[in-house]
Amino acid sequence: MIFDRPTIIELINSVKTFLINDVKNELPNYLGFKTQIAINVLSIVQRELEVGKELSSETLEMINSLLKDIDNPSIDTLAKEIQNGNLDLSDENLKKVLIKLSKNKVSVDNPNYSTYKKLIK
Amino acid sequence: MIDELSKNIESLLKEAGFNGKVSDLEPLTNGASNETWKFNFYENLVTQKMILKKGPDAPSSIALPKSKEAEIQKIVFQEQGPVPNVLAISNEKSSLKNAYIMMLVEGESIPRKILRDDTYKQIRDSLAFQCGQAIAKIHQVPLNSLNWLDNKDITQELEELYLTYENFKQPQPVFEYTFKWLRNQDFGDFPNTLIHADFRLGNLIFDKNGLQSVIDWELAHIGNPLQDLGWICVNSWRFGKHENVVGGFGEIEDLLNGYNSIIDIQLDVQQIKNWQIFGTLRWGVICLIQTFAHLLGPNNSVERAAIGRRVSETELDLVDLLFMEGK
Repeated sequence: MIFDRPTIIELINSVKTFLINDVKNELPNYLGFKTQIAINVLSIVQRELEVGKELSSETLEMINSLLKDIDNPSIDTLAKEIQNGNLDLSDENLKKVLIKLSKNKVSVDNPNYSTYKKLIK
Repeated sequence: MIDELSKNIESLLKEAGFNGKVSDLEPLTNGASNETWKFNFYENLVTQKMILKKGPDAPSSIALPKSKEAEIQKIVFQEQGPVPNVLAISNEKSSLKNAYIMMLVEGESIPRKILRDDTYKQIRDSLAFQCGQAIAKIHQVPLNSLNWLDNKDITQELEELYLTYENFKQPQPVFEYTFKWLRNQDFGDFPNTLIHADFRLGNLIFDKNGLQSVIDWELAHIGNPLQDLGWICVNSWRFGKHENVVGGFGEIEDLLNGYNSIIDIQLDVQQIKNWQIFGTLRWGVICLIQTFAHLLGPNNSVERAAIGRRVSETELDLVDLLFMEGK
């Protein structure tokens, strides 16, 4: 990277901390609530920057080995294959791919989600 | 803006036969599409607390216009159902457009407070039973004055939901799987009734004596009564209290016992679970609707942008329910 510090993660952190410490509590309830949502959004951005690439390629590799006969399969192709009835709903490998896909997405979107916390225990 | 809104409220109430003054007008929520305002209304030496509910000028794709929502509440109120009394309904010609005014019901609707504050500790154990009773009362409302509402069986519910999902051109493998799976399940064969279709914490007002009122009727329609029982079990409505299947506070047996204390029909837990899975998928699609309203619409909304990243929560709940014996 040619860019100076703060890193992109540090920049986001600084905006988050500002919103948490200086903004949120100064606002009426309904705006405080929206500010919390804005803070959560920044946390998603932060996590996706940190691990998004790795999680995407891990998931796409699994989809690749499930759909061996298709060139460059994607999330869209997997959805289409299920929709067209080309995949057996009882196929354990298909289930594994769907579990992995959902877990990896939630680990970025909201790792505090109750079902996620239960499943990684 | 507040002054103008107060004047418009006064004139709508005047048309409905209430001649008085508005004061202390303040927003309770201020979403991108729906607004809720609280105010005092002073008439004949008496001050009463009231609520203004205002929707977008152009109606949304799935929600009823406010006038219809208010009409349903009126009918449920006449049948002694647990809803706030509607006082005045606005229409396109009126300055408030898509809106209505109702009495304020004292109590708490914020899920986290109901699930975590000591004030509600005493009643928490009885809430599932009370919710079952309230749902049954809604299902008892005669349909003769509600024939203008959408009437859908499960096949139509699924078809409509699929078309909505497909429209956004964001293919979701887990949703595709669940749509296919649901087409072969048993949803119970009952005569359709009025259903609230969004009966869960956030839309329920409690005080220290228990459930006082059911609000937000914009998704109500005529459908399979088990839909309401499955919906309140959807994990998104447990607000972090995953272990308590009903709304984050109770057990399915208590919900069903409450229902059966009003309506005596044979309820099957597996059928209700199928409705819970349908409900989880439905909430996922509603998240998509809200997300794309932000992405394609004229107004920026950080809540709606954020809700796009909650679709994955419903996917995780679906794979948990379908493959891992999730509750």
